[in-house]
Amino acid sequence: MTRDVLVFIECRDSMPRKASLELLSVGRDMASKFSSTLLAVMLGSGLKEAADVVSRYADKTILVDNGSFADYGWDIYGSALEEILRKYEPMIVLGTSSVTGKDLFPRMAARLQAAMVSDAVGVDLGGEGVKIKKPLFGGKVISWLAPSSDSTVIVTFRPNSFAVADAGQRGDIIEEGAAGTRNPAMKTLSSEKTGSVKVDLQEADFIICGGRGMKSAEHFAVLDEIADLMGGRTGASRTVIDSKWREYDDQIGKSGKTVSPKLYIGCGLSGALHHIMGMDTSRVIVAINKDPNAPIFQYADYGIVDDLFAVLPPLRDQLKKTREEM
Amino acid sequence: MKVLVFMKQVADTEARIIISSDQKTLEIENKYVVNFFDEFAVEEAIRIKESLKDVEIAVCTFAPRRAVEALRTTIAMGADRAFLIDSTNRETDDPLIVSRILAGFARKEGFDIILCGRQAMDDESANVGPMVAEFLSLPHVSHVVRLSVTDAGTAEVVSEIEGGRRVSEVSLPALFTAQKGLNEPRVPLITGVMKAMKTEIAIVDPAAIETPFGPIDSEASKITVLSYELPASRPAVRIIDGASPEEKAQNLVKALKDEAKVL
Repeated sequence: MTRDVLVFIECRDSMPRKASLELLSVGRDMASKFSSTLLAVMLGSGLKEAADVVSRYADKTILVDNGSFADYGWDIYGSALEEILRKYEPMIVLGTSSVTGKDLFPRMAARLQAAMVSDAVGVDLGGEGVKIKKPLFGGKVISWLAPSSDSTVIVTFRPNSFAVADAGQRGDIIEEGAAGTRNPAMKTLSSEKTGSVKVDLQEADFIICGGRGMKSAEHFAVLDEIADLMGGRTGASRTVIDSKWREYDDQIGKSGKTVSPKLYIGCGLSGALHHIMGMDTSRVIVAINKDPNAPIFQYADYGIVDDLFAVLPPLRDQLKKTREEM
Repeated sequence: MKVLVFMKQVADTEARIIISSDQKTLEIENKYVVNFFDEFAVEEAIRIKESLKDVEIAVCTFAPRRAVEALRTTIAMGADRAFLIDSTNRETDDPLIVSRILAGFARKEGFDIILCGRQAMDDESANVGPMVAEFLSLPHVSHVVRLSVTDAGTAEVVSEIEGGRRVSEVSLPALFTAQKGLNEPRVPLITGVMKAMKTEIAIVDPAAIETPFGPIDSEASKITVLSYELPASRPAVRIIDGASPEEKAQNLVKALKDEAKVL
């Protein structure tokens, strides 16, 4: 085994996801600590341009670019990744705790008998080895874990766990011809895109989230407007999803998605614990609610106590103004 | 047909959790529930049983004895048999070890379908499902939102993938992890609760399970918990003043820009 750090890159619309660039940034810190090489692995089709971006972060970008990798499957991606991991023997593999990451890496860890830590949010590179920070019980407790370094370690991180560093010098791009095999017991019949090209909820820097106080699906239009002008996403509480005002994909909370944007604005949300657990790690939290005793104010940095339907239009206009000044 | 469901009993959202003064252990208030996503798995198993002939449902957990209660809940919902693999004094922090034990149990017990939730609410790791599938050389589909099983030994599955959904056909045996939306888990009827009270829950010693997938002893753990701590707390909220909603909105944006520097 080498002491190299390997980052598995996920792409969206043929470009690397922000979450993957975050991993390259923390991966760079790890590689510096161990005086080793930072490797990036990209599997897919039509990724030349994306590889160019990635190569400005990694020492070596291992690219498997061919049509049979156009659609993700744990079987074909797993066999190619396994081949690469056996060849390059990295000490640590970094991935994203995404739908794909959750599907792919546990199988990979079982196959390679690798130490696995998933859904982590930070690292401590200060002492011996690597310490991994992982929240438990919806963030009520933070645990620090040390994976055994006798064998390969696989760690997946939540998006928005690290800042993206500036791009550096161009590294090498190595094209690998991994074959990759599909599992004969599985066949894709069809697939559809649900979300539009909007930013991923977990990767968004800005989230405006509506709760029961939004009163109807139509009222979310102003939240969507604000989200769009901020380049962010609209989220929703469980009540909103259960009332079918929004899709499950938008749900923030323990039974939905966990998010950590730079700025989170909660509108008409009481602040039920299962919702708080999904957004408590946001950098700055704003709550807008007419009830000054709503629990959400206990978790917020800033609050406005007022009728949200009176606050949202001028808030939109103010935000628009600051965007235009930039 | 045999459907095996892996279930985890987890601390309720409201349960109080106390970190010991040496930061090495957690004391969890005795409020436990069936893991949210595992309820969908149990419900789906019952629906398979209702739609096909001769289906048996076994539910299994690797847990301390307290989880017998959660197993009874699944029996009350409609599962036929329940097994508790006793985790007392066993390694539970390393998902590889947990998965080896569950895979070993599945191998011994037999199955056509394994169902489990997409992740546990306590550690949100989402590891055990795909790991068990790998150890048993099974195909798996994660984040399943619709499942139709045929008598012919195949399943048509709709699952969430990055940015969309996929419809796949899978030959059984296979493992599926349940996502919210798969079904609406039923509330047990009183007759079910009565049955659950009388059903004997088998307690299994992990040492009695053959696990040809790797070691399961504590020394083989690849994960060491160094410490637990409380998350950093936020300063008290600052309520934005203003004579009108417009003024409040203006003052908020000013604070976000100049003070918090997030705009």
